[in-house]
Amino acid sequence: MILQTALLVGLVVFSVLAILLKDLLRSAISLAVASLLLGIIFFRMNAPYAGVFEISVVAGLITVLFILTIALTRADDKVRESKLVNWVFPLVFAAFIVVDALVMKGLMGKAPALAAGAESGTFGDVLWRGRTLDLIGQIAVILAGVFAVLALFRKRDKHD
Amino acid sequence: MTNTWYLYLFFAAALIFAGLLGLLGKRNLIKLFIAIEVIGKGISLLLLATGFAKANILTAQALVITYIVIEVSLVATALALIINIYRHTKSLDIRNLAKLKG
Repeated sequence: MILQTALLVGLVVFSVLAILLKDLLRSAISLAVASLLLGIIFFRMNAPYAGVFEISVVAGLITVLFILTIALTRADDKVRESKLVNWVFPLVFAAFIVVDALVMKGLMGKAPALAAGAESGTFGDVLWRGRTLDLIGQIAVILAGVFAVLALFRKRDKHD
Repeated sequence: MTNTWYLYLFFAAALIFAGLLGLLGKRNLIKLFIAIEVIGKGISLLLLATGFAKANILTAQALVITYIVIEVSLVATALALIINIYRHTKSLDIRNLAKLKG
């Protein structure tokens, strides 16, 4: 329980750092560390498949994509951020944490509980038998992403 | 079990709120997208924690994996858009997008 809490605190700290740090490369790496911690949390929740996907895809692939974009857009082009945010963000966030701690227990009691039976079978059964249509949708989404990237980086024709 | 669920929900809400604050306050396009990623992390933690607390971890895992696959597709498209915007406006400032010419 203590280790899990420490992991969750680390996850929130690195996520906040990813938003607040000025250097884009550092914030991308903070995001990767946060993903790694989330993957470990998933492993500890008995969800190894989600953990593997989180670590390999989100901490690995998405970080590479972010770093590639930062390199391609040349980080020397600084965007002037509002100075107010550096003061307001921690204050409002701390206030939210207090409200969150006070209110969340009450909200949990009000959440409607769906009656769900205990699961049986393996993860493969649930993924392949229970969610077959979703998987077709996933393939369509991946293809849509591929075509979107192709369309965005298409070269001009000679006629244009 | 309720205590564990409370812990996860508490941190998931914190992540989502941090992402929302980042979306409201930041001006760099890549920073804005990192804030969206943080919100996504909160959502996947919420999904899996609820599955864990309600003894439905397998369905929750399948949902999280679906979400991660969609996330990759979304990230690739959005980063390609950001690169294109940078080539057009020579800047990553979101305020430059408001100056539309047509």
